[in-house]
Amino acid sequence: MSDEMPDFSNVKSGSSSTATKIYEVKAGDSLSKIAKAEYGNANAWNRIFEANKDILKDPNKIYPGQKLKIPPK
Amino acid sequence: MKKLQISVLVVALTFGLFGCKKEAPPPPPAPAPQAQVQTPPAPAPVAVASISLGKALGPDKKVTVPTDTFAKDDTIYAVVETTGTGSATLKAKWTYHRGDQTASVNDSSQTISASGPAASEFHISKPDGWPTGDYQVEISLNDKPVGTRKFAVK
Repeated sequence: MSDEMPDFSNVKSGSSSTATKIYEVKAGDSLSKIAKAEYGNANAWNRIFEANKDILKDPNKIYPGQKLKIPPK
Repeated sequence: MKKLQISVLVVALTFGLFGCKKEAPPPPPAPAPQAQVQTPPAPAPVAVASISLGKALGPDKKVTVPTDTFAKDDTIYAVVETTGTGSATLKAKWTYHRGDQTASVNDSSQTISASGPAASEFHISKPDGWPTGDYQVEISLNDKPVGTRKFAVK
């Protein structure tokens, strides 16, 4: 029997919450990309934009380090 | 007669003195009672209430099929129920164990802004199926371990 440990490099993971999630913007992010990752639907970007109008004036301008509220699904 | 005049004078002076005595100043008014400023109790920070494992979730993010034994093609869910309010970071560290050996399966985290009790879930899946054996997930809250759940894939 081999002592080699199994390969878990292809494991897929995700998370969600009934609370508002906080997402820190990374380089290369867009609201559509975040919406796709969080909701599985890039068209849901407007939900994130609406929840963050206090800090976002233009949905096309987000910056690394910004902390966005992600409303629950 | 002179004696009488002197007596009258003494009496007059005596009463005059008392009559002119400056009245003692009124006592200072009692200090106003301290206004009772009711500060609301500080909200309790986020704390973990429970950790559960299962194969499926309901819309409330709670486990609907709890188990600690999974099949090779299952998606494995760990649900962390919290109380309290505020911002907190939850982490799930999934590992595989064989004898003394440990392999990292996945690490993931999410930061929440809770306004009350909440349920937060982490899930993992493996397209080509889970190797059979023993696993565990360790949950941390703000980088402090708060619980571990062991499970098996058969």
